[in-house]
Amino acid sequence: MTRYLLTRLWQSAITLILASLVVFVGVRQLPGDPALAMAGEEASPERLAEIRTQLGLDEPIATQYVTFVGNMLRGDFGASTRTGTPVTDLIATTLPVTLWLAGYALIVAIIVGILLGVIAERFRGRWPEWVANGFALIGLSVPNFWLGILAILYLAVTVPIFPASGYVPIGEDPLQGLYHLTLPAIILGTSLAAVIMRQTRASMIETMKTDYVRTARAKGLGRSRVLFRYGLRNSLIVVVTIVGLQLGGLISGAVVTERIFALPGFGKLTLDAVFTRDYPVIQAVVLIITVGYIVINLAVDLLYSVINPRIRVGGSN
Amino acid sequence: MLPSLPRSSATRPRKRKIWIPLLAVGIALSTVACQQVQVVDDSPQGADVTSAPIGDQTIIEGGDLVMALSAEPDRLDPTTSSSLYTRYVMQTMCQKLYDIDAEGDIVPQLATALPEVSADGLTVTIPVREGVVFADGSEFNADAVRQTIDRGLTLTGSSRRSELGPITDISAPDATTVEITYAEPFAPLTAALADRAGMILSPQALASLGDAFGDSPVCVGPFKFVERVPQTSITVERDPLFYDAENVHLDTITYRIITDSNIRAANLRSGDVQVADSISTQDVGALADTDGIGILQIGSLGYQAFTINIGNTDGVGAAVGVIGTPLAVEAEIRKAFSMSVDRESLVSSVFSDWYESACSPISPSSPFSSDASEACPEFDPVAAKQMLEDAGVPIPFPITMEVTNTPDTLRFAQALQAAVVEGGFELSISPIEYSTLLDVQARGDFDALQLGWSGRVDPHGNMFNFLSTGGGNNYSGYSNPEVDDLLTSAAETNDSAERADLYGQVVEIVQEENPIVYLYRVRSLTGYTTDIAGVETFADGVVHLSNVAFVEAE
Repeated sequence: MTRYLLTRLWQSAITLILASLVVFVGVRQLPGDPALAMAGEEASPERLAEIRTQLGLDEPIATQYVTFVGNMLRGDFGASTRTGTPVTDLIATTLPVTLWLAGYALIVAIIVGILLGVIAERFRGRWPEWVANGFALIGLSVPNFWLGILAILYLAVTVPIFPASGYVPIGEDPLQGLYHLTLPAIILGTSLAAVIMRQTRASMIETMKTDYVRTARAKGLGRSRVLFRYGLRNSLIVVVTIVGLQLGGLISGAVVTERIFALPGFGKLTLDAVFTRDYPVIQAVVLIITVGYIVINLAVDLLYSVINPRIRVGGSN
Repeated sequence: MLPSLPRSSATRPRKRKIWIPLLAVGIALSTVACQQVQVVDDSPQGADVTSAPIGDQTIIEGGDLVMALSAEPDRLDPTTSSSLYTRYVMQTMCQKLYDIDAEGDIVPQLATALPEVSADGLTVTIPVREGVVFADGSEFNADAVRQTIDRGLTLTGSSRRSELGPITDISAPDATTVEITYAEPFAPLTAALADRAGMILSPQALASLGDAFGDSPVCVGPFKFVERVPQTSITVERDPLFYDAENVHLDTITYRIITDSNIRAANLRSGDVQVADSISTQDVGALADTDGIGILQIGSLGYQAFTINIGNTDGVGAAVGVIGTPLAVEAEIRKAFSMSVDRESLVSSVFSDWYESACSPISPSSPFSSDASEACPEFDPVAAKQMLEDAGVPIPFPITMEVTNTPDTLRFAQALQAAVVEGGFELSISPIEYSTLLDVQARGDFDALQLGWSGRVDPHGNMFNFLSTGGGNNYSGYSNPEVDDLLTSAAETNDSAERADLYGQVVEIVQEENPIVYLYRVRSLTGYTTDIAGVETFADGVVHLSNVAFVEAE
């Protein structure tokens, strides 16, 4: 296990270096000039030249890359070309927002998804299953941005239950913070809840047909105990895999949700940075996302063996 | 790959399956049916409404106002800023030497009178207020003005240099007098000082913050900076040291960045924000009919135009090159295009009359507007087609137009595409993202493109750089010595009537040669909730909140 972990960490480091190279070159291949985006309407040739010098864009690309990696290793990601704010500050303020949002959405999705999945299995062929299936259909087919706009229209304007926008840091005021995040989290979690519901239902149907479940029933265990202890627990392997795979989708889905609800998150930061060709910010956020993916994949692999001891990784027994 | 669902229901009665699509369709229909439908009034929408006056309403002192801002301001440093949205925020914190009023006229703000210009036009004297302090308590005086203008001229990264003109010296002979000396007469100075170049910065803060001034700006203003949460909001609070503090009613103003126009409108409806800028023409009709919401509107000083590349081969600012296409070579083809556009109908159909047609870079509301600058090319598609035949080019004549991929722009581009067919043109639309389009425009990698200019108070800012040979914004690559002379003369003359005449002559030439075909002018549409009053918007497009107050319901 330790050897496997070390191998995975080494592979991750290589991935990170390659990612930094791809990001650095890729960003510079984007059409559009950051100096132009920065200068806006005041884009005289002299002003543009001045900005390029200021940003180091007139240096050879290899020099720029070496500077970038050197600074990055020292924890210096530079400053936003647009607002002058250090990128580390931007990440420090936006990342928690997205993590809270994604975490909240994940909790909503897991609770709703598993609950509906169990209901769908338990009441197969009856109306609760159709309601659960209808939810899954809507959750998967209606885009986030549309759901978000409808939610604001009906749950913030027509019936003002939730705020239409705004953010309160959870650390400052936990209740207000969660209140402001509730609607965005529900919207963001909807599609994941739908996926989890479908997987839970499918997986439980398979599990409930297995011999050990039949044996458990034959032993006289109660229906609920069989359902939750044997059916649900064994079905969760698939659910955990799905959650792991979908976490990335949750973070990228946050881009749209944050934009709709004007949340100062990582997704919004990324989008704005791309639109304004804010190279330092784009580079930093893509690298952070890469690290996130690597860590999540690693965590999911490790979770496999924790949840189901029959599974061993790295070929060991 | 996800495992497929077991076909557990295969043996059940088939009719039950219909519930799923029915449920989905039902929900979809209910959501669509409940959408608010845009109400389009038959009456003309174009009357300016520039303020929601407090009048005899009862003011509630204090309160925290939230304004939804459609884009994030750049660095809050008036010297380096290049964003219109920074002006929104800065105007509550940083008063200027001059301001513009509801009529678009320039009026003194931190100055006490309009500038005095010497007979030779080379020396400009500006009297400034006394007894005023910055938000940090330090004294405002002529030397502070000198330092700010000097910073605009010398700071690396300054966006103000070209706006200030060819200044050779600036001095403060006493505490209330500033003297600026020019190498050549430069009439647009007063207008520049009514914008960011005229926002006077605290020398004490400049000394302590240096280049980081934009992180915590200090000026003379009704409000002072509190905090900026990147990507999210900027908050300012009432400055008790402000010289006119008794007319400031709010405790704080928070500018919340909400880029989507639908969401801004929804926030206004829900009362989460009290003011929202850049309301979409799609939303404004319905908002105007909503109880508790008012709309301010005023024509922009800028324009939206169809720019044709006639000589930009090596990038903007470089020497004019030769583009051999008929569109670039034949002025008659470009004129035929201009004559094919029924601007009034286009604006009416695409923007429900909330915007207005434009035929020149000078807004009709500008003091420099004249009959010549307001004249429009005749809409005559038959004559346009004949001109194409006379030019011996194939009909329909193909043109590719690059545009931004925003919904409003695309809707207009598609309407334009349909409109010019009658005149013998076949317009292809190539939508690209804004930053890319800026790059394409600067490199000259286009036949034609549609982009706008936000506008400046002085026509010099709307014309010189766009139409003079080698101008910093001359994306068309246009070069006409006669136009160059007229524009230079207009910049060096302080006689407003003479300047208006000179700019009018330029417009006449441009309408014949059409390097830029002016199409329409947006109107600044600002929504506000009626529990506040005192909000104003002027021709520079900036929403003024300094004297806003919450008022008691009538």
